[in-house]
Amino acid sequence: MSTQAIYDAIMEFEDDDVVEAVKEAIEAGVDPQVILNEGLIGAMDEVGRLFSIGDLYVPEMLMAANAMKAGMKVIKPYLKGDDGGKGLVVIGTVEGDLHDIGKNLVSMMMESAGFEVIDLGIDVPANKFIETAKANNAGIICLSALLTTTMTTMAETVDAIKKSGLNVKTMVGGAPVTEEFAKEIGADGFAEDAGEAVVFARNLMAS
Amino acid sequence: MKFMDYFTEAEVTRIHEASLDILQNTGLSVRNEKAREIFKKAGCSVDETTHLVKIPGKLVEECRKSYVPEYTFTAQDPKFDIVLPDNRPVVITGSSAPNIIDPKTGEDRRATSSDIANIANLINELDGFDVFSISTLAQDAPKGQISVSRFYPALKNCKKPVRSNTPTIKDLEDVLELGALIAGGKEAYKERPFINHHYCPVVSPLTMDVDSTDAVIYLTEKGLPVYGTIVPNAGMTSPMTMTGTLVLGNAEFLALSTLIQLIRPGAPMIYAVLSTVADLRTGNYAPGAVETGMLQMAHSQMARFYGVPSGGYIGLTNSQINDAQCGYETGINTTGALLAGSDMFNMGGLLGSLMAFDYSKAVIDNEIALMLKRMKRGMEFSEENLCLDLIHEVGPGGTYLDLKHTQKNMRKMAFYPKVATRDMRKKWEATRSTAEERAFEQVNKIFENSVQKTFPAEIDEKIRSNFPGLVKGDMVW
Repeated sequence: MSTQAIYDAIMEFEDDDVVEAVKEAIEAGVDPQVILNEGLIGAMDEVGRLFSIGDLYVPEMLMAANAMKAGMKVIKPYLKGDDGGKGLVVIGTVEGDLHDIGKNLVSMMMESAGFEVIDLGIDVPANKFIETAKANNAGIICLSALLTTTMTTMAETVDAIKKSGLNVKTMVGGAPVTEEFAKEIGADGFAEDAGEAVVFARNLMAS
Repeated sequence: MKFMDYFTEAEVTRIHEASLDILQNTGLSVRNEKAREIFKKAGCSVDETTHLVKIPGKLVEECRKSYVPEYTFTAQDPKFDIVLPDNRPVVITGSSAPNIIDPKTGEDRRATSSDIANIANLINELDGFDVFSISTLAQDAPKGQISVSRFYPALKNCKKPVRSNTPTIKDLEDVLELGALIAGGKEAYKERPFINHHYCPVVSPLTMDVDSTDAVIYLTEKGLPVYGTIVPNAGMTSPMTMTGTLVLGNAEFLALSTLIQLIRPGAPMIYAVLSTVADLRTGNYAPGAVETGMLQMAHSQMARFYGVPSGGYIGLTNSQINDAQCGYETGINTTGALLAGSDMFNMGGLLGSLMAFDYSKAVIDNEIALMLKRMKRGMEFSEENLCLDLIHEVGPGGTYLDLKHTQKNMRKMAFYPKVATRDMRKKWEATRSTAEERAFEQVNKIFENSVQKTFPAEIDEKIRSNFPGLVKGDMVW
């Protein structure tokens, strides 16, 4: 019994088939760590490669990530200790902004890269970010804004997080947000797209 | 001029019915409490826990009766007043980009209030533009003055109608206060409200927000001009078919219109649904996509069905510079929209998906605008214009070049571009100039001949004491 069926089911974006294949592999006695690395993460690496060369489009990447997550749920209880988790991320769109497509992409990508993600959704006030991060011992708070007019709210939110004294890194993103702006408002990180956000978050947590 | 139709009458009716179906059976999530109250009072089913509002088709139809076919953009100087659809195509700048391409260095940087003053002056001088929608944000705005730091330089330097939005009611009230101070009183301002408001209260799919909806309600109640822009993005926030996206955007327009008409029956509106298609290779927003133009054309047909002026952000580009892509994206989509009956074109001056203002782009767009206006003027069919007698008279061979008739008509019949070159190769080789360079020459010429405008001293004093520390609002060139 190999992990090929799991890998294939992810490449076909079939959540139910992934769940089925993971269960079968566990029953057949395949090492859970192998299921995770060769099946689930292996497939996502290939998805990432195909996406980066333009063969796969965004919806396919999301569907693959969803399928992978479905498999993760099944395998998680069987993984010992460190389940590959890279830390906890709190994410949301800043107060006044309801645009969440970009934020959802980042959230999804972070999850499929092994982060635990608490997605606070849209229109999130600063104190909610702070309280959630505190209660869950988060490593990173990710803030998103699409409207140019809510960029000031983003600055205020970063400020509030800093003043709270919480030991947490902040990352910002969204169409009008630039690296320069991120620096200006004192955010710890900035990413131009979802893929970059994951890489950045990994580095941030490692530092 | 006959307009281009994508749909048969039966298809238009079906799209309308399907929109009603969406509003009645699925409804909208309305996050603004006041809006929910208004919908509830009018007989909509409102769930206070989920904020879901279902609007009966009957109510939408009832509210349709008070739609009006006109929308006026009032200017500080009455000679610049603009009425939709009579003055179509009404050409407007794109609004609220955070950045500007610096005219001296060519580098992309954050825009300031001086940039807004410059741009306002440029738009004031370019004949193709009818309305100045404040192109950028102002990074140098003092704390608490984000919006007045944009409207003050805009209103100081551009006497055409000025249009933009504000993030909060407090900012909106500040901007209205500024308007009243310039007009010489609240009543005088209300008579000629020369600040034209625009918001995005509906976020697709089927959601009404808190702040923008608040502003729309506030302005509609006060009888001040406001309209909403709705932007479904196929594949992301609406279905991945043209008609699926169209019907969702249409339903969202009807929902917003119902709210507005419930507040003030007869309040003027613009059908500004700007459906786009996401580039699903990356997820990027694609205002320059051909489907953006096609959807605008289809929405314009729906707007004609409802008897409401239409248009909005059409003719924008994804390109980061004034290149071929920039020109064909703006050209194709605005031409399509014009031919399908769109009345308003927020097309001017922005590059890179609304992220940065560029002076040359604004001048090139001015030229495109003048070409669109020429196209709209059309064939001017008349017996006189058939020139039958003249054709008989000149006969075969011969020339029309030295005729009085030619001389009489030549300056008004043809549009003579200033950016486009029609030089022969040898002459062009003397400069080898690009369209962008020729556009920038026009920019420089305009600024060489510009004098800084001012408000009367006593008005300016009042404005400054009302908004201490306000930006200077003058051009810096």
